[in-house]
Amino acid sequence: MKGAVLKMFIGIALVGCLILGTSSSFGAEVVTLTVIGDAGHNLKPFEWYAPIFKEEFGVELKVIGVPFGELYEKEKIEFVAQTGAFDICIVYPKYMGDFAGAGYLMNLDEYVGKLGTRMDDVAAGYRDFYCKVGGSLYAVPYDGDVLSLYYRKDLFENADEKAAFKSQFGYDLKAPATWDEYVDVAKFFARKAGDKLAGETRKTPFYGTAFYGQRDQIYAWWGNRFASMGGVYFDEETMKPAVNSKAGVDALENMKAVVPYCPPDVLAYGYEELKDIYLNGDAAMVIQWPCVGKKGGDPNQSKIVGKVGLAPVPGVMKAGKVYSRAMMPCGRVLAIPADTKHPWKAYQVVQWLSVVSSCADVSTALTGLDPYRLSHFETPEAFEMFPTAEDARIYLAGIKANMSNGYPEPPIPGSMEYIDALAVNIIRALEGEKSAQKALDDAAKEWEGITARFGLEKQRKLYQGLVAGWRAAGLWE
Amino acid sequence: MRYGEKQKAALSFNIEKHIPLLFVLPCFIVLLSVSVFPFLYSLWLSFNKWELGIGQRSPTFAWLSNYARLFSDSRFLGSMENMAEVLVFGVGAQLLIGLGVALLLNRPFRGRSWVTTLFLLPMMICPVVVGCNWKMIYHYTYGPLNHILRLIGIGEGLNWLGSSDLALPSIIIADTWEWMPFMMIVLLAGLQSIPEELYEAAKVDGASRRQVFWYITLPSLKTIIIIAVLIRMMDTFKLFDLVALLTQGGPASASETISFYNYLTGFKFFNMGYAASLAYIQLAVIIIIASLFLRFLRKEEGE
Repeated sequence: MKGAVLKMFIGIALVGCLILGTSSSFGAEVVTLTVIGDAGHNLKPFEWYAPIFKEEFGVELKVIGVPFGELYEKEKIEFVAQTGAFDICIVYPKYMGDFAGAGYLMNLDEYVGKLGTRMDDVAAGYRDFYCKVGGSLYAVPYDGDVLSLYYRKDLFENADEKAAFKSQFGYDLKAPATWDEYVDVAKFFARKAGDKLAGETRKTPFYGTAFYGQRDQIYAWWGNRFASMGGVYFDEETMKPAVNSKAGVDALENMKAVVPYCPPDVLAYGYEELKDIYLNGDAAMVIQWPCVGKKGGDPNQSKIVGKVGLAPVPGVMKAGKVYSRAMMPCGRVLAIPADTKHPWKAYQVVQWLSVVSSCADVSTALTGLDPYRLSHFETPEAFEMFPTAEDARIYLAGIKANMSNGYPEPPIPGSMEYIDALAVNIIRALEGEKSAQKALDDAAKEWEGITARFGLEKQRKLYQGLVAGWRAAGLWE
Repeated sequence: MRYGEKQKAALSFNIEKHIPLLFVLPCFIVLLSVSVFPFLYSLWLSFNKWELGIGQRSPTFAWLSNYARLFSDSRFLGSMENMAEVLVFGVGAQLLIGLGVALLLNRPFRGRSWVTTLFLLPMMICPVVVGCNWKMIYHYTYGPLNHILRLIGIGEGLNWLGSSDLALPSIIIADTWEWMPFMMIVLLAGLQSIPEELYEAAKVDGASRRQVFWYITLPSLKTIIIIAVLIRMMDTFKLFDLVALLTQGGPASASETISFYNYLTGFKFFNMGYAASLAYIQLAVIIIIASLFLRFLRKEEGE
């Protein structure tokens, strides 16, 4: 009896060894890395390549998805408490100064020498605004976001509409190149229910334009104007807020001028509402993120397939040329916390996602990731969601043009507070509660208070460092 | 009895005396760690400056500066004003509609239990789902509410969530829809506990329906109304989910409630000391309201 039990035990042990022996990871160290990011389709690549990460790098991933608006606080709480809970973080670039400045993120310069990130292939804005702090690399790009002007190609090319526009404004109808033209075009296309639009009677109102009205991002729609009019966030020398400069006030006045031609509830508009009003065919033009262009080509999501036009966000005339700057709100980068126990393994994973699989990940409709590498812009055939390669080419060319004029969010510690204070005052001006000047003066006053709390000298040094890096990259005047 | 036996007896007496305490101990430890400690810690924190946002690793004592800042903080004062509006109009509407529905459901009719259950449904739905649904309902262009208004010829519809004038009332309407059933069910239980003899006596005395309501129904419900309103007021003071989902406190800060502002201060701006002081002001207001109600209740019971 004893002998039989012993034989059975040895048999089980041998079979176990055989199974383990055939496993590719046997003998190799497999570690589990925890990834945090905003839940949903943008975390898909971590799932898709899990077998490769295990096979190639000996890494198993535990992916934690949190709601889009709560990612910052989840990451910050763990960083402050120094729990070492995460090994890879998706970070919104506006918090890079906050996180890297406080020493929460690992400096990647050392690793780039061992395994390159092909940063020369990354568009300058995404490389220097998104990933670098004080000239050092703290993250690699994962999702390139820049605002672009989307317009209804069919309406802008309609002969009747063109003639009517010319007789009303005295120049040809085209995608607006300047902010003044933007107001004209918005005014021209705003129609009531029962009015004619391109020969057809509208059953519902048609809007000239719309914008992101909720306070978490509204500043970026003001920022497009502000930046092209020459605005900067702070005076570099004194760190005195410069949002209440002439550029700021003019930008806000221009934004106010389009409000009558927007949906009445535009101040409640977030991403979804802004996307829907355009893709449902109820607005002539909107300024939106790149993913809206991709969705515009998908008949399941868009009623205007084949009618989507893409142009640079408007600007101002400077020495006979249009000078425009497109805000780069949101975006995503992959960073590695300084307290991870497996920095090299984490780096291998982020390098793979940012370099090896990036083109496949940004060109599929299964993610919301947008192009950020120069090579992405040169492979229109990969963007299969568009009806034709030509449509994909137009889309990529439009995004590239805006990206080359990119303008960063204020990526210094306290960005959340700065943005909130600015947004609240912008909305008050748009509602007519305050004049544009008063609203921005109030915002500037609040910014001074925030800077004082965070430490004037510390903030100044960081801001100067950031600006110096941007200037060296030719992105800042 | 020998000395050793005496000791044993004393020991067993002591163990017996303390055994109940041992049973209570786990509960006491849990209570201490999840309730008493956080309460005292946050109170201490409210007298400290601790801004995680600026990388401050540990709190520094700041006397009453957080509380002093409250009086000059227009966002805080605005959120308190909004809160008062929600309490008066929201809880008020819930009480009036809840009472009306409870009076209707107090009459016997076929299928009454089904109708009562249907009325309770909004209260059973997850608040996040309620918020998402109301967001769709209120949508200016595609929402069913404005569609109906257009069909019946009331202009182009109302700007429910995008105007400072209507954003807070929109939240109040959604909150009333969700929580009116609570008032209804509590008041219905109260109505059903009123002795039938009182109504019969009033009928014999020739009292009109209005007199019956004012002199029998309402006085009999007084205690239960006070308790129901108090519970709803305490709950409404924490109003967060609908604000976050419908307006994010906007436009600007037009619909910001104290809970939402506290959330921004604590978990977006990471100003922990100030957030703690906001929480204690919130607590103080709730205590004052509750004590007023309870004093009124005691007075009623005394009579």
